Amino acid sequence: MSETLIKAENISKSFGDLKVLCDISFTLERGQVLSILGPSGSGKSTLLRIVTQLETADRGTISFSGETLFRDNGEKAVYASGQTARKIGLKTGLVFQNFNLFPHFTVLRNITEAQVAVLKRDKKEAEDRAYALLKKLALEDKAKAYPCQLSGGQKQRVSIARALAMDPEVLFFDEPTSALDPELTREVLNVIRQLSEEKMTMAVVTHEMEFAKAISDHAIFMEGGYIIEEGDRDTIFVNPEKERTRQFIHSMS
Amino acid sequence: MTKILLLMFKATVVNIQIFALTLLFALPLGFIVAKGRMSRIRIVRSLVNIYIQIMRGTPLILQLIAVYFAPYYIFGVSYNRFTAVIIAFVINYAAYFAEIYRSGLQAIDRGQYEAGKVLGFTKAYTFFHIILPQVFKIILPALAGEVITLVKDTALAQTIGVAELFRVAQNAASREFSTMPIFVAGIFFFVMNWVVSKFFSYIEHKMDYYQG
Repeated sequence: MSETLIKAENISKSFGDLKVLCDISFTLERGQVLSILGPSGSGKSTLLRIVTQLETADRGTISFSGETLFRDNGEKAVYASGQTARKIGLKTGLVFQNFNLFPHFTVLRNITEAQVAVLKRDKKEAEDRAYALLKKLALEDKAKAYPCQLSGGQKQRVSIARALAMDPEVLFFDEPTSALDPELTREVLNVIRQLSEEKMTMAVVTHEMEFAKAISDHAIFMEGGYIIEEGDRDTIFVNPEKERTRQFIHSMS
Repeated sequence: MTKILLLMFKATVVNIQIFALTLLFALPLGFIVAKGRMSRIRIVRSLVNIYIQIMRGTPLILQLIAVYFAPYYIFGVSYNRFTAVIIAFVINYAAYFAEIYRSGLQAIDRGQYEAGKVLGFTKAYTFFHIILPQVFKIILPALAGEVITLVKDTALAQTIGVAELFRVAQNAASREFSTMPIFVAGIFFFVMNWVVSKFFSYIEHKMDYYQG
């Protein structure tokens, strides 16, 4: 029996006069992977930034396993208290396009800092967790390195480890390979694929169509702030209803 | 000559006091000024900007005179010259430090704040543990330049009659009909700044363990 982890309804967002999201609704079931596809400027990243609280929504409602982050009151989206928002924030992890590792910390400390400061784990426990993750991501020997000493692919894997160390219920990826060479892209995609096999709940904004097709249970295709089409993997990647979806997937593959 | 040297050493203590007290107050004050300069409130931003422009746009020697004599001409009160020197130096250097801090703060990528937020850090935690250490490394060379200038600027305290090193040297020079004391004062300043430079290169070296 699947359990709904995220339920988003009619999310809208404008930057000044520019409408970037119009009535976006989606659900994410626990253990599933959702791909968010679409051309640049379609609002994919903004959607991810609203869900991870880096941006606020103008309208709409969203809840995480029944707990409401914001609810539409007919005029605008009303946010929950800071405490609730923070609690929900800890359930979500985000991997950025350009990693955003802390350059003045070692790889190890990048992964332990928030565990200690936010989750109040003791240092030993946090380091054990970090080493376990580094081992899993084949980065054991980089624990004492600084981010500037790593390749792009290694940096992105560290940032995935940093997010996983917080034990999020859902992990978001905002174009995780867009800043990487094709060669390095593969090592990052393999990690995400491995996580999907372990039934990690994830939502991925990506332009890698083959990859998205391989890992997704569900996909939405966005353009100009609207959802053009959504459906399960086969609907979107094999038999899209809308000509525009077909066109886009074809052009990106 | 020994007697002159002794007088000059004693006067140097005054320069070192001005130097240390200015840093003690201007370094933190500059931070508040930088925050004001980057304030979201327009009026705060403009007022702070005017203050910075005046401090950087007029000679420190004039500011010294203004700080010391203005209270006398306006309220008829006079006060300790040394205090006036410290006030003038602090408000002047805070303006310069503020601009240095601002350049450092603006060099930090938004993504660093966002990563902190997503990981659940409080704003204060992100600022003190993530942002500030990186800002410090970025501004170090500019800060070093400003601190070296401060050492030399302490000679300006003589403008309102504070007997610092350079004034004592000049007095000695005119008494002895020799320019020697003035050159010696130059050596004194040079040595002080040599120490300052060494200090900063040591810190810069310490911060070399990562690249931003």
